[in-house]
Amino acid sequence: MQSTFSGIELGKRGILAHQQALQTTGHNLTNASSEGYSRQRVQLQATLPLYRPQLNRPERAGQVGQGVEVARIERVRDELLDGRIITASGDQSYWETRDRYILQMEQVYNEVGDSSVRNLMDRFWDGWQELSLYPEQRASREAVLQRGQALVEGIQLRFKNLDRIRDMVEQEIRGNVDQANSLIQDIADLNREITNVKAAGDEPNDLLDRRDLLVDRLSEHLDITVDDRDPDEFSVYTAGYHIVQGRIARPFDIEANQQNEGFSDVTWSHNGERVQFRGGNLGALLELRDQDLRTEIQELDTMAVNVMDLVNEVHRDGYGINGRTGQDFFTEYPAILNAQGNYDRNQDGTFDSSYVFRVNGTNSLDLQAQIGLSGTMSLPAGSDIAEGGILDVPYRAADTVEDVIARVNNSGADVTARLNREGQLEIKATTARDRSQPDFVLRHLEDSGQFLTGYAGILAESGDEGALRWDQPDAVLALRGETATRQGADFAVAPLMHPSGWMEVNPAVVREPAAIASSFSVAGEPGETGDGRAALEIASIRNSAVGIGRADTLDDYFADTVARIGLKGEESEQALNTSERILKDLTDLRQSISGVNIDEELAEMIKFQHGYQAAARFISNIDQMLDTIINRMGV
Amino acid sequence: MDRISTNLPNDNMQFFLRERQKMMEQAQNQIASQSRIQNLRDDPLAASHATRYRSYTARLERYSDNIQTVQERNRIAEGRVQEATDLLQRARELAVQGAHGTYAPEDLEHMAVEVEQIIEQMVEIANSRGSDGTTIFAGDRSQQLPFRALRGMRAGGEQEMVTEVQYRGTINPQSAEVGENSYIQTNFMGNQVFWAENQRIQSRTDAGDYQVNQDGSFSIDGVEIEVREGDNAYSIIQKINESGAAVRARLDPVYNSMVVESTTPHQVWMQDQPGSTVLQDLGLINGGDGRAPENIAPSARRSGGSVFDALINLRDQLAAGDQEAVGGRGIQAMDQSLDNMLTTLGRIGAVNARLEGAFERTEMEIPEVIAQDSRNTDVDLAEAVMELRQLESTHRAALGVSARIIQPTLLDFLR
Repeated sequence: MQSTFSGIELGKRGILAHQQALQTTGHNLTNASSEGYSRQRVQLQATLPLYRPQLNRPERAGQVGQGVEVARIERVRDELLDGRIITASGDQSYWETRDRYILQMEQVYNEVGDSSVRNLMDRFWDGWQELSLYPEQRASREAVLQRGQALVEGIQLRFKNLDRIRDMVEQEIRGNVDQANSLIQDIADLNREITNVKAAGDEPNDLLDRRDLLVDRLSEHLDITVDDRDPDEFSVYTAGYHIVQGRIARPFDIEANQQNEGFSDVTWSHNGERVQFRGGNLGALLELRDQDLRTEIQELDTMAVNVMDLVNEVHRDGYGINGRTGQDFFTEYPAILNAQGNYDRNQDGTFDSSYVFRVNGTNSLDLQAQIGLSGTMSLPAGSDIAEGGILDVPYRAADTVEDVIARVNNSGADVTARLNREGQLEIKATTARDRSQPDFVLRHLEDSGQFLTGYAGILAESGDEGALRWDQPDAVLALRGETATRQGADFAVAPLMHPSGWMEVNPAVVREPAAIASSFSVAGEPGETGDGRAALEIASIRNSAVGIGRADTLDDYFADTVARIGLKGEESEQALNTSERILKDLTDLRQSISGVNIDEELAEMIKFQHGYQAAARFISNIDQMLDTIINRMGV
Repeated sequence: MDRISTNLPNDNMQFFLRERQKMMEQAQNQIASQSRIQNLRDDPLAASHATRYRSYTARLERYSDNIQTVQERNRIAEGRVQEATDLLQRARELAVQGAHGTYAPEDLEHMAVEVEQIIEQMVEIANSRGSDGTTIFAGDRSQQLPFRALRGMRAGGEQEMVTEVQYRGTINPQSAEVGENSYIQTNFMGNQVFWAENQRIQSRTDAGDYQVNQDGSFSIDGVEIEVREGDNAYSIIQKINESGAAVRARLDPVYNSMVVESTTPHQVWMQDQPGSTVLQDLGLINGGDGRAPENIAPSARRSGGSVFDALINLRDQLAAGDQEAVGGRGIQAMDQSLDNMLTTLGRIGAVNARLEGAFERTEMEIPEVIAQDSRNTDVDLAEAVMELRQLESTHRAALGVSARIIQPTLLDFLR
């Protein structure tokens, strides 16, 4: 038997259901422009009809429908698409950050214009040319001094700009790690809330939307993947490690790393291990700071230290018009004070290392001469190309001196070799490949045969006992010493700080420009005032193959610098455009699936409105019918 | 995409608008700065080439400058040498006249006085300064006068006359860079230009058993020659002859001693390097702190003099009335002096001709390199303006279309 009031109940169910549907439509309409909002659809379904085959089933045609109910409110969302978007967003963020900073680095160089370091250096060499033509005049000395100072300022400015960019990157890393940490915590909290709601049987659509938005934001910071196959445990991974596991959050820590000039490492809070970022803006920032900017600063330092050394080499041999000699033109401030290169690396009060930058042999060699010796030289190298940081470079009897030098320079070791102006073999340290090693320090020099010992006159002994090692003080004792007839092997001490940031024109020369060397000695006497040979030789450094790190001439160095940074910029701009397009296509697709279309919602609204009206009408009809029974029958 | 959400047309319009504005700004910047390369990324390889072009252009301009400086110095020196040549011609005329035998002793005396004037003038020319105030013929001792005239009373004369002219300059060559790694000498040595005869320095010390007792070196005319322990006179002679200095060494058959002769007329400078006494032991120079050219050993004989020596001798011969000497040695010395001066003139002329060629080449190369650089980095104005126009018109079209796409919704049509 039907209940009397089942009609009203049916109508009531209809009204409530349509009301809820209208509410959801209204929710969609008002949230049309909300970020990360996915439209929600109400699923109406017929309630369970009566009667099931049961004992109290009435004997009449059944089953009679009992009205409508809201089965669930679901959001229209493609989760697989979300996964793709997270990856694409990490990519786009990586390239966007990289592009932004590389553009800044490009602008530091000020090429191809007239106020670049290259231009200042051209003018510097030009000043020496002028001095060589008019060595008697004070004006040409002043010009050399002014241009030298301008060059030093230009190099220092470039260093400071690169350093400043590096500091900015460091700040941004810290800021982004903080943001990432708060996002991670929020996601974990949301997870807890969502599982609670789901346990009660509801669809936490808006919470899910919010969590998806937070995950999107997190994907901008680092490369993540998401796993929500287990409904109770929503996980976020990076590089295989959990960041969020259900309600457990694993945030990051920032630790200053003394081996890396005090810049921070990002570590896991729970076990202190370093995090490997491969995408997102944190990945880009760490790569920029520790690779790209480091390389640029190293290249700048290499140019500065080599130019300083080359000019000083000639300048020390030259004489000023005041008869003074033996002065450096460029110095580094502050200098490493110990003349033997001894240095206290671990700051415990005793010398424990030797910081030697360059060693020269005592003997004049001829490039084309066959050496007639065989053996193996052991040179310092990065630990990624040589075991234990020592690279073996062999030489054979039929090699010429030129061959051996070329082999050393092409070996990938952290040294370069050349013959200096007196024909002596000169071995100079380059920037270190490993981040933990200092730049411009000769870490190891050993020869199993006689090339470096007797032939070139650098080391005193062959083999292991005669090796020059940097991890002990007074390593320069391994060099060939002075004898009665000739001087010992010459060496130069390594710069302690970045040469490009701390170089300056020798204050003694600034005070007295007459000390700028222009002449060479003749038969042991200072050169004449009209002798400009030293100035001419310094000027010829400009276009000689003097070996600036891996480049041959200064022209090569500047061209390589421009090409290197320009190509990085070109690549990042291209990659950014591509990744932006990809991301846009994916987000457009997501918009297409989950976005609100106002016309559609309005049409739905009309539909539900009619439904509501119909249900209301039905109720009033049933009400009238009941009224007939209750009030009109048998009165 | 089948379904278009309401925000999509809006977002798209913004996206493409942003892109087009970026392109328009880039085109504008290119036109305003005339350069295709605003940032290095716009064309990294072209930017890299451009740095080389610019540096090379700066170097070429310096070479061009240097060439002109050297040419100027050469022209001034040439002028002086020309004046000196004219003076020598006059002196030669006087010598020829004096050798005639048709003049009385008083006339010869007058000629001697004129030769004295020529000597004074010649010293002035030799000590002349260039346009920057430095002396021309002093080697690199360019702030001092190269020649010093010693005066004294001549027997039978009434006033002081020049008795000797000493060279006080140096022999270091100075160079200027006039092309990539190509140098040219810029200075002149007075003791080459103003020299008349080949000089010979003959030692009187027997060098037959001589052996060098320790490694060392000495320099002749500024060229350093190394000797090893145990070298004897013959090996020293060979080293000198192969050294590249403009001298020849040999053993004198009479005294068995070293003789050093110049191969072109100039003053020979010899010096032992510190720590070595080879030349001293061979009896060519004396020990102590003596500097060339005054350090010749008293026992050695030196012959072959400068233009001044020739003129002084001529004057003395004329004053003494020695017509045979005038006609013989006097004219010969004048001829030799003239010969050397003309050689110098010829050399300067040849160098300047070579520099002229180098200058033209450099001046042609500079605009070529600038043109290459321009092709590389400058923007093609016509093309850029057209592109900007095109962007502007598409921009307007896009804006117009966007305005229509932001269409009315259903709301406008419901009651």
